[in-house]
Amino acid sequence: MSFHIEVITILLNGLQQGAIYVLLAVGLSIILGTLKFVNFAHGALYLIGTYAGLLLALDVNLTSGLLAEWGYGQLGLGLGYIPALFLVPVVVFVVGLAMERLVVEPFKNRPDTDQILVTFGLAIIVQELFRAMFGSGSLPFSQPTWAQGAPSVPFLSAIPISQWRYYVIGITAVLVLIVYLLVEYTDFGLVVRAGTRDPEMVELLGIRLSRPYLLVFGIGAALAGVAGVVGGPLNPVNPTIGNEILVPAFLTVVIGGVGSIAGAVLGGTLFGITQAILVSTYSAWAQVGLYAIAAIVLLLRPQGLLGEEEVAP
Amino acid sequence: MSDEPATAAETGEETPADVPGVFTLYGNELKTLIATAIVLALFPFVFARMPVVSDVLQGYQSLTTLILIWGIFALGFDLLLGYTGLLSFGHAAFWGSAAYGAGVFSQHVTGSPVLMVVAGTLVAVLLAWVLGFLSLRRGGIYFAILTLAFAQMLFYMASSPLAFITDGENGFTGVETAELFGMIPLEEDLPSILGELLGTTLYAFVAVLTLLCIALAYRILQSPYGMVFRAIRENEQRAKFVGLNVWRYKLMSFVLSGLFAGIAGSLFTIHGSYVPLSSLYWTESGEVVIMTVLGGTGSLFGPIIGAGLYLYVENIVSGFDTVGPFWHLILGLVFVITIWTFPRGIWGFFQDVRDYITGGDDQ
Amino acid sequence: MTLLKTDGLVKKFGGLVATDDVNLSVEENERVSIIGPNGAGKSTLVNLITRRLDPTEGDIQFKGESIVGRDPHEVVQMGISKSFQTASIFSELTVRENAEIAALAAENGSFGFKFLQHRESLTGVHDRATDTLDAVGLLGQADRTAADLPYGDKRRLEIGIALAAEPDLLLMDEPTAGMSPEETESTVDLIEEVKRELGLTFVLIEHDMEIVFRISDRIVVLNRGQIIAEGTPDEIRGDDEVQEAYLGGVDL
Repeated sequence: MSFHIEVITILLNGLQQGAIYVLLAVGLSIILGTLKFVNFAHGALYLIGTYAGLLLALDVNLTSGLLAEWGYGQLGLGLGYIPALFLVPVVVFVVGLAMERLVVEPFKNRPDTDQILVTFGLAIIVQELFRAMFGSGSLPFSQPTWAQGAPSVPFLSAIPISQWRYYVIGITAVLVLIVYLLVEYTDFGLVVRAGTRDPEMVELLGIRLSRPYLLVFGIGAALAGVAGVVGGPLNPVNPTIGNEILVPAFLTVVIGGVGSIAGAVLGGTLFGITQAILVSTYSAWAQVGLYAIAAIVLLLRPQGLLGEEEVAP
Repeated sequence: MSDEPATAAETGEETPADVPGVFTLYGNELKTLIATAIVLALFPFVFARMPVVSDVLQGYQSLTTLILIWGIFALGFDLLLGYTGLLSFGHAAFWGSAAYGAGVFSQHVTGSPVLMVVAGTLVAVLLAWVLGFLSLRRGGIYFAILTLAFAQMLFYMASSPLAFITDGENGFTGVETAELFGMIPLEEDLPSILGELLGTTLYAFVAVLTLLCIALAYRILQSPYGMVFRAIRENEQRAKFVGLNVWRYKLMSFVLSGLFAGIAGSLFTIHGSYVPLSSLYWTESGEVVIMTVLGGTGSLFGPIIGAGLYLYVENIVSGFDTVGPFWHLILGLVFVITIWTFPRGIWGFFQDVRDYITGGDDQ
Repeated sequence: MTLLKTDGLVKKFGGLVATDDVNLSVEENERVSIIGPNGAGKSTLVNLITRRLDPTEGDIQFKGESIVGRDPHEVVQMGISKSFQTASIFSELTVRENAEIAALAAENGSFGFKFLQHRESLTGVHDRATDTLDAVGLLGQADRTAADLPYGDKRRLEIGIALAAEPDLLLMDEPTAGMSPEETESTVDLIEEVKRELGLTFVLIEHDMEIVFRISDRIVVLNRGQIIAEGTPDEIRGDDEVQEAYLGGVDL
């Protein structure tokens, strides 16, 4: 393989991995920015997205877990990948709404630490529920046959990257753009942005923030669900994937700047590409490198790359 | 500008040897420590050997040691979470680094258990100083995320770049613990009545350190620090505006909790003769969070009880045929219910019951 | 001797100028009140002096030394104390502990390593806390949890916390806001007592004109971030510009 093909491969791989981080970070970031809520269960939404995608798209043969014991070893709707891509965000959106009403809302006025603790507990519960139901082992979630192999387009066909990874990048770009336009150019977005700055004032103007907040949480959840379903076929699928991806997702948010969509995109892309470069050069340092970048950014620019200075109380 | 005002010079800078009030016991301290010593002395017998009770509980000796070790960890963690109000998700860094520190020290320098604890603790304290310095730059929610991030960085460091020291994924197997004071094997049972009560020398060693840790924590809470920590949790801004350097007190809270984590982590290595890589993973930080909250934040003994409960479920309930496989799920549920309905944990619950019965006059 | 001096102090929040070229000086043993309508920039000025906010331009000097760039706790250690507009106390701590926190900062400085020393061995802190509680009339309730105090007592405790530092300059941000007439009366008595006994220099921000005229040596009138008048209570009472711009022609 020639050198420039190798470089492009690495960059595209990084971009694809970054896209997953971006999807998660955008949701986390807008939730943190508007609701001021730290969601340690965001990884659980990713987990739900992956499993929902798997069960909607394919037929799965479970070998362990309660479902198998109860005689539901053969599970899944087998609708195919495209319907799954459309249904999963809906499913996780609804899960997100339920979570906002049942967990976030009651903890609105509790200390930050309690919010972190309860969502952390929730993340454990979700993970362990999935472990109990589907077993601890990894489930097969392959890329669809039509998206395997390099695309048959001039030039790209020479790069050993499956079409699926291009779709991941494309889907992410489109979704993030939609969310960005929603927040910047709609009345809903205006209320949300105003609420981010000064929730008290917005409420005084007679606008109830409860519903926009609900929607923000739902959207954030749906994005995590999409990340789960597009990322699922690229990694092993088991109950711990949610909590494993939570840490890099959080870092992406902090690096990019809380509440900034552009920051999440920048942070995620930076992370993905750095990781890909390190994996192919100094693979032992691949993970450490991410954290080193994060540490450096935070020391030099505590509010994150595109974050605003904290406003004085 | 110096942080020490002129008044400090007027009250007289004491030399460490005659600092008043360090070695004198005040108020309830003696009573509390004696009671604790009695409980520590009876615990292994009741849990692992007493007829009927130990059969029902299905307890065993080495679990008692492990409970105390995690108890020390949770006790220190509570200084930070329960008293100062700072939630760290990175304490695995101090636990794990002390565990590795003690292990590597035993292989290359000496296997003396006391020195292993000193070495491991030193590593943890130094690390806590550095990570605290970095993580406390931003308050509130960022603190949780930053501690988590730095601890994960350490995990990945140990997993490959530093694998030549840590043995990477396999965990560190080269622990060579020697005899206590060069003559008493740790794993052997103590003679006669001591053996019946305490079991092994290892337990006695850990129990003595536990007692010292409880005395230390109790004293910290009765010192100006205990008051300042609670003041920071209550109203950080006001604490600044009475003239306290809140940042440095927070850092001390972090370092002190790192000290306890270090002692515990070193003992963990001595107890297991092995350091798993997972001792640095963030779920380990999560475990100490759960133990502390379950047992009761803002109390001295709550976290130790929490550690006991957690380890009991993890090691014994998990073996039950019925609910065994779901032990982690059960803990997760109990944890969420605790935060939801009883944020002060088991200890707080007992306190409320006691106050209800006695009319709630005493503290 | 000039204790506090601000020099061309400007604070902008985005386009809004909250403090506009303020030159204020406070002499030792002087009692200065800052008055002005809502939004005149009184609180911003206090927040600048206590280093809660960074000035956009200008300098603040205390005892001839610039304090811009210092941390809030350093400013307190230099001798500027502040009592807050709302009862900013440590609610879950006892009344005595509230006073001890402040006494600790005053006796032992902003930070120390005394985590092995029992609090009871620190007699200086203990005595100072007792004196402070006695001074604000809360010694009888020392063992109560601060949250259980009636509102007026919380405010007295708040002032006590500020006094425990034995400051050279005390900034009081509306010490009687939200108090009943009786509570206001006893707080004013307290302030007058402090003024008499400790000979303290203080800067008072207050809405209640009766209190202002009763206890001030000098009054500074702020409007839209600028000082529009200053002088003795009598001079301010007779100042037409103040009457117009601020008091709306209400006869004092």
